Amino acid sequence: MIVLKINGKAHELADVDADTPLLWVLRDELGLTGTKYGCGMAQCGACTVHADGQAVRSCVKPVGDLVGKEITTIEGLSADGDHPVQRAWKKFGVPQCGYCQAGQIMSAAALIESVPVPTDDDIDAGMAGNLCRCGTYVRIRAAIHAAAQDARP
Amino acid sequence: MTPAQLSRRLFLQGLAAGSLVVAVRVSGPCALALVDLETEAALPFEPDVFVSIAPDGWVAIVAHRSEMGTGIRTALPMIVADELGADWERVRIEQAIGDAEYGSQNTDGSRSVRRFYERMRIAGATARTMLERAAAARWGVDATDCAARNHEIVHKPTGRSVGFDELVTAAAALEAPAREELRMKPASERRYVGRDIPIVDLDAIVTGRAVFGTDARRKGQLYAVVARSPALGGRVRSVDAAKAKAITGVVDVIEIPPFKAPHAFQALGGVAVIAKSTWAALQGRRALVIEWEDGENARFDSTSYERALVQAARESGKTLRDEGDVDAAFSEAKDIFEADYYVPHLAHASMEPPCAVAEVTTESDGTVARCDVWAPTQNPQAAQTEVARTLGIQPANVTVNVTLLGGGFGRKSKPDFIAEAAYLARRLKRPVHVTWTREDDLQHDYYHAVAAVHMRAALDGAGRPQGWLQRSAFPPITSTFVRGARYGSAGEMGLGFTDLPYSVPNLRIENGPAEAHLRIGWLRSVAHIYHAFAVCSFPDELAHRAGRDPFEYLMELLGEPRFVGLEGVEYPNHGEPLARYPIDVGRLRHVTERAAELAGWGRALARGRGLGIACHRSFLSYAANVVEVEVGSDGAITIPRVHVVIDAGLVINPDRVRAQMEGATVFGASLALYGEITAENGRVQQSNFHNYRIARIYDAPREVNVEIVASEALPAGVGEVGVPPFAPALCNAIFAATGKRIRRLPIARHDLSS
Amino acid sequence: MNFFRRHLRFCALGFFMLFAVSALVQCRPEAEAAPDGAAAMTALESFEVVYGVLQHPRCMNCHPGGDRPLQHDDHQPHAMNVQRGPDDRGRFAMRCDACHGTGNLPGANMPPGVSTGWHLAPREMVFEGLSRHELAKMLMDPERSHMSSDELIEHVTSDPLVLWGWDPGDGREPVPTPHAEFAAAFRTWIAAGAPAPPEEEAQVR
Repeated sequence: MIVLKINGKAHELADVDADTPLLWVLRDELGLTGTKYGCGMAQCGACTVHADGQAVRSCVKPVGDLVGKEITTIEGLSADGDHPVQRAWKKFGVPQCGYCQAGQIMSAAALIESVPVPTDDDIDAGMAGNLCRCGTYVRIRAAIHAAAQDARP
Repeated sequence: MTPAQLSRRLFLQGLAAGSLVVAVRVSGPCALALVDLETEAALPFEPDVFVSIAPDGWVAIVAHRSEMGTGIRTALPMIVADELGADWERVRIEQAIGDAEYGSQNTDGSRSVRRFYERMRIAGATARTMLERAAAARWGVDATDCAARNHEIVHKPTGRSVGFDELVTAAAALEAPAREELRMKPASERRYVGRDIPIVDLDAIVTGRAVFGTDARRKGQLYAVVARSPALGGRVRSVDAAKAKAITGVVDVIEIPPFKAPHAFQALGGVAVIAKSTWAALQGRRALVIEWEDGENARFDSTSYERALVQAARESGKTLRDEGDVDAAFSEAKDIFEADYYVPHLAHASMEPPCAVAEVTTESDGTVARCDVWAPTQNPQAAQTEVARTLGIQPANVTVNVTLLGGGFGRKSKPDFIAEAAYLARRLKRPVHVTWTREDDLQHDYYHAVAAVHMRAALDGAGRPQGWLQRSAFPPITSTFVRGARYGSAGEMGLGFTDLPYSVPNLRIENGPAEAHLRIGWLRSVAHIYHAFAVCSFPDELAHRAGRDPFEYLMELLGEPRFVGLEGVEYPNHGEPLARYPIDVGRLRHVTERAAELAGWGRALARGRGLGIACHRSFLSYAANVVEVEVGSDGAITIPRVHVVIDAGLVINPDRVRAQMEGATVFGASLALYGEITAENGRVQQSNFHNYRIARIYDAPREVNVEIVASEALPAGVGEVGVPPFAPALCNAIFAATGKRIRRLPIARHDLSS
Repeated sequence: MNFFRRHLRFCALGFFMLFAVSALVQCRPEAEAAPDGAAAMTALESFEVVYGVLQHPRCMNCHPGGDRPLQHDDHQPHAMNVQRGPDDRGRFAMRCDACHGTGNLPGANMPPGVSTGWHLAPREMVFEGLSRHELAKMLMDPERSHMSSDELIEHVTSDPLVLWGWDPGDGREPVPTPHAEFAAAFRTWIAAGAPAPPEEEAQVR
């Protein structure tokens, strides 16, 4: 049996094969639907979660590879939606339809964790894996700059 | 109309007994009605929009249009709340189910605000008037001295006030005022309209709690994916499901019958794999062995089709607008210039692919009693109709619950995917969640039509057009509903083509025939995309040919401020009379001039940089773009800056209008840089985002400056308006930067290296 | 096209080996270590096998000249603006293992993976755009290859990332030279003193 640690809680997955992508386990088995399907091949980033703090695409991550890792989904990023990235997202009114935003936020959170003061080029590099069909990129950029500022001690 | 006429069934959910409920009828002379839920009123007409106030004072506003990112679920309620004098912090939004009694819920055509602005005001004003009267009666004062402010009614002479909550019961007992008794707030007293208000779903979105169609869950639901014919109209010849059924979690494999032409909104048909999880269903589908019998569309090949389409646009077609003597102008011309433009098929590629959950209830004899669906639909009523048809039941027995939409762009106004869920739910007698994969979405879309546009100008000695011929050819949307339709409808031709705003003495506008081999549908701004690409690129070409500045040339071509007359032209004007929403060249000139001014048109630019301008009226609004582009020596394109000016009349939520304009530049960048769906043997060749590319953050404009023209004119469209001028402005900028003219999209096909 | 190219390369190889052998015989600085003509032929022939493999997209794409990995048979820069990063494993929210896992996934165009983790070769260990001479020199320069001869042999024989080139997953062409042949050629070349072919600017690549 596979045991995954997600958002600080251990989940025992009795009927799940090790090669099942995390995305479908989150959505169909655990009811954590904040993480979204968009392409199934790591092209769009809608399914981005953290594994040991690092952004990964859950649609191509077999759960068998994630045993022992701390997985964080959008539901577990903060207690009250008050992660600096979430605050900035609200302040700048980033979302339009909102579907890709969980993935964007998870990527952005990982980005500012690894580079506290990102430049525009850093953002282009860190966020290039996340597609937004509504085209919220201009605000994503602005919000990341603000979140980085906000996150600094 | 008599008051107190209201359908009870619309209030069954979410309202406490004793609530004040106001319904607004929006057709006819707008009679208003009030009903206390505890009374049983017989109601002969159905209202469109509602506001109710619970005994605790909370105001509930029904959002009957679908939220797919425009912010409409916030904007329409803002109008109600403003007119009502409600405190936005004490307003709750309820999403309407699909019901013809609301009037149109078809959320497309950039028309939610313009069609419902007045009606929302009436809803708010009616409720307010009744609260004012209730307060006046309580105090024994004149109601005209009472006014609503921040969830209270204030007696202006004395300053006394009473909360909405305390007035609910008394107000509910009053008769509703007639339309002519309503006093609308003056613009100076607006509290929300015209202000930046965050969307109501913001918190839910950033915390992952927002419920999209894909997140809908019913107890005991199964998950399905469907294998569909690779060529439109193909059928299953044989299917071997043994391996699929052997996969753990797969519950069943069911054939969905093929559609009967024309396909319209029917399920395409195919082979469904139903499983306990999406992943098991996907694996099951991979294990299916299906032999398809190709239909007539299997001969469709994009390369040969393109040649024929460009030719069709070059040959005489149906004339839709004819002014002066074009033939004479061409025979007398000093110079004739022509150009052929081409925009390929495009796919919607909303981030949330089509999906739906359906649950069917059967009678004891096994017949279908009713069906409930949860779906991200732009058009819940069409879904209701299609599901009813699929199941052979009355639409009244179908409830369509509208979730948030993970993007729509026109795709989700077609309910074929919901019909699939309904069909499978009936067969399995369990709730079924149908998921389309990205591959399904890109290969079985209702595609934006491929189009060729031929432009021809008869020029005088100064390079000014004296004669103008333009002809477009594209497989029409009508082909989705009428088998074999080949000519564009007046509606499609009216999207940026027959309404050409240029001042040219001799003008002819035509349409050529084109067959459809894929399902054709509308996509954000529809035929404006290819029409504007030609109509806004061609003047730039003429300007350079004449050795003129493109902006000055364009302004001269637009001519004097005037209303463009279209006598004798069948022109639907986005469904509005020209008298209310004329083609106002003055407003088009204004946005163009402002965009040029803001962008610093004419300023010196670094090598490899260029500015391009385009202006276009669509959805009754006026937009201009100035795009600044940088083309590297390796041909790589970056877009450092875009200036957008929009005149959409009265604007409800300016922040969302800016957001729509920002997004439209990215949508425009996607289609201009990369957008192309092609087919070989009728099979769409693109399958996922690696080969149907959409703009990533580094492709997108780095800076989008939006100016909204301050206006009290009638509200007009927003959601689609920013898209049409972007691609031509970008290509005009590329020409300015490189001297290379792009007439065939996407840009990625062209080598721009120097 | 490929057929034609291969033949051209073959003819060129013959010509260049004649030249190379004489060059080696004449220029080898340490006379006592100089191989006889036949051994030198074998070493350079072996290197030719090695070179062909290292220039294959399955190998070269992760030994790029710049800071962006390459992909596909035509060595396009990796989509999504993927960058090397300080540890050759990507940058920020775009680390290699954000998408690349511990094994290949079924289906074309799925991100490939290996058990030891996906990453680029060190910045200096470039294959892209290098001539035979340059590539041989780079391999034998520990400052650039970051490996001793033994480590190189270990790398090409058993590193899962190298072996992946022969099992690259659905929709990708494996390296055509059998791995055993490649590994043997590599060993032969090293054993022979890892001679670098002479500069070959005029040669057809």
